[in-house]
Amino acid sequence: MARTEEHVAAGLLDAGEREEMERTWRGQPGFWGWLTATDHKSVAKRYILTTFLFFLLGGLEALTLRLQLARPENGLLDPDQYNQFFTMHGTTMMFLFGVPVQLAMAIYLVPLMVGTRNISFPRLNAFGYWVYLIGGLLLYSGFALNTGPDAGWFNYVPLSGPQYSPGKRIDVWAQTVTFTEIAALVAAVELIVTILKQRAPGMSLNRLPLYVWSILVTCFVILFAMPSVALASLMLAFDRLVGTHFFNPAEGGDPLLWQHLFWFFGHPEVYIMFIPATGFVSEIIPVFARRKMFGHTALVLALVATGFMSFGLWVHHMFTTGIPQLGQSFFTAASLMIAIPNGVQVFCWIATLWAGRPRLDTPLLFVLGFIVLFTLGGITGVMVASVPFDQQAHDTHFIVAHLHYVQIGAFVFPLFGAFYYWFPKITGRMLSEALGKWNFWLFFTGVNVTFFPLHFLGLMGMTRRVYTYLPETGWGPLNLVATVGAFMIAASILVFLVNVFRSLRGGAPAGDDPWGAHTLEWGTSSPPPSYNFLHIPVVQGLYALWERTADRPVVAGMGTRRREILLTTVMDAEPDARYAHPGPSIAPLLAALAVGVTFIGGIFTPWAFVVGPLLLFPALLVWMATQDEQPGPPTPAEEPA
Amino acid sequence: MSAQRSVLDVSELPKVVFGHRSLLWWGTVGFMVIEGFTVLLMVASYFYLRLNEYEWPPGRTPDPDLLIPTLNTVLLLAVIVPMRMVDKAAKRFDRAGVVRGLLIATAMTVVVAVLRWWELLALNVRWDAHAYASAAWGVVVLHATLVLVDVFETGTLAALFLSGKAKRKHFPDASDAADYQYFLSLAWVPLYFIVYWGPRLL
Repeated sequence: MARTEEHVAAGLLDAGEREEMERTWRGQPGFWGWLTATDHKSVAKRYILTTFLFFLLGGLEALTLRLQLARPENGLLDPDQYNQFFTMHGTTMMFLFGVPVQLAMAIYLVPLMVGTRNISFPRLNAFGYWVYLIGGLLLYSGFALNTGPDAGWFNYVPLSGPQYSPGKRIDVWAQTVTFTEIAALVAAVELIVTILKQRAPGMSLNRLPLYVWSILVTCFVILFAMPSVALASLMLAFDRLVGTHFFNPAEGGDPLLWQHLFWFFGHPEVYIMFIPATGFVSEIIPVFARRKMFGHTALVLALVATGFMSFGLWVHHMFTTGIPQLGQSFFTAASLMIAIPNGVQVFCWIATLWAGRPRLDTPLLFVLGFIVLFTLGGITGVMVASVPFDQQAHDTHFIVAHLHYVQIGAFVFPLFGAFYYWFPKITGRMLSEALGKWNFWLFFTGVNVTFFPLHFLGLMGMTRRVYTYLPETGWGPLNLVATVGAFMIAASILVFLVNVFRSLRGGAPAGDDPWGAHTLEWGTSSPPPSYNFLHIPVVQGLYALWERTADRPVVAGMGTRRREILLTTVMDAEPDARYAHPGPSIAPLLAALAVGVTFIGGIFTPWAFVVGPLLLFPALLVWMATQDEQPGPPTPAEEPA
Repeated sequence: MSAQRSVLDVSELPKVVFGHRSLLWWGTVGFMVIEGFTVLLMVASYFYLRLNEYEWPPGRTPDPDLLIPTLNTVLLLAVIVPMRMVDKAAKRFDRAGVVRGLLIATAMTVVVAVLRWWELLALNVRWDAHAYASAAWGVVVLHATLVLVDVFETGTLAALFLSGKAKRKHFPDASDAADYQYFLSLAWVPLYFIVYWGPRLL
């Protein structure tokens, strides 16, 4: 490997070569360009936007549920509508918002943070988005046609089996899940490969930013968790469609198999949303505390430990199913044990803030809110990890309170912190701090007003998923308080939307690095150019921008006439190869449509599993045939061998 | 900007690399992990459902036949040989060797895919008879979908190399296809024993 270091005058690429870079990396224009886009930033932006639209829909469903429960014997929703609404709310928030938004953020941020020009498999990435979109549209089309799923977001058999749920509602749920699993799995593979093989030279694993570590761990969790629910939903689809008996106890099947397979995915799923959120926190805290992170190595180890342990907890969702006592003890111990790495993280964050000079801007406010809410949710988590307590609280509003404290506190709050933190990078504009503080305080107060009373309601015996209750129960006042809180949350989201629209129209220009941050994405323009970095940076320390020398070393000698990325070694990020990257293509959309025909058609006829793959075949041929299309003339190295 | 900048010159780096140095190899490994783990969960479900029955197969369901499944298992393992040739030829950039190996491998995997239907019939029970039948069909069908993907992959690669349009950068793809074949063939061996021999032993 030739590796010469020399000093040359600044401006390594001349003006003509810069124009060539623009030509080589830009997408195609117009609507066609939108359909064929493979730039990770374009795909990620539409991904984030779509997940946020689903978040708003899920939120509106939650408001409707809270309105229905605001007073006893309310008649806003009938029992059937209520079933559909809570199922849609849970399914939307978990499958169409929670996991996808974390992956979408990672698709935007990871290539920039590791200093490369695009994600490892850009077409697979576009394919993943389209498949996800088809899944979301399927779910909401079903809902609009009164075919919305109604067996809860974890869709237990036998309720969801062919005997108790005739019709197509459950099939819509099962196939929506299949689509979202495919999308998550492909994103996980792309992100792992990007992180392992495309880091800028010098970014050895011990210099990997904590957010990127969190995504690496999350993606490995996805690889092992998602197959479980994909398999379970396929088994359920076949039980319903062609009469298999996986979950039918009359023929030797087992409903508990569903619960095992579902929660073997479902519990890690919580961490798929939570681990990236801790990554956001670990990026935001040092920047706003204005000092390096306390305990970097401990934080990395805590992330990895959390990832492993997340697979040892699933049975704590099943404590009331009569599992053996040894199993109960093991899973109680495992559920308590995961508090250790999470505790390590919280102490490192507090120590960093303690020793720093914290700047209380909106991103940090959301992080502080996260620490409070996550601790409260964690405490009730430790409570329900205990079998005797769980048997009392199971299926009550106590669990609803616990899971919302954890999900909103530990996932949505850091996510909003991340929105405020990276919005300037994505759009080039700052969000308003004043509106941001309104957003935060309304949200923080609203969450507590909504969910804190639910603990008491649960302990008073109010079960979850009841569409109404009698006045004599005495649950009315606390339910009314919770509904008021839900509207406070809605108001806070409204403030956020106003903030975004105002900023997009006339927010203060952000500049490259408005926060004085240390990760590589802040070393390029806001928004970044199509090729991310004119010159790939050479990383000299864990805090890439804080620790670089005055001469700002960069990589030279990359091709400008073809889309070229630099591959580096897995451990030490030594430059290893120059790799030609595929350009825009319609094939990902065509392939996603073929997958759509397969699984949506599969709701109605098993022949769809024959026709769909036949349609996939030409789409993949287009995919391969257009692999080499480069905007510029071919470089000599790409002549036929 | 007028400051002096250090540069790390990468212009001499290779553009075609094999194995763990290439991107696609890592992607292939990622999908092997996903597919392998899905199959493993299917097998776990098979054993979980076993616990519900006194006999396996339950009732008067006959044991699976062994002849076709055994022949097909041997054939699937034998595909490793031409794909090993492909792997070695690809690393030498030997186009003729790659084409020869891919054609033989494609022909063999097509036969494996066709025989897979008779392997399903060899289970001697329909999928909708009971949970045993569903689980056994589940394992075989799941692996069969991977075989079909493999037919597509080796087939299109063979067509690409045969058409003369393959470039240097496609040689690592052929090498990765060989790695995928090892996974596919070897993963079947435990599944074959579980589904076709298991009922005699469990």
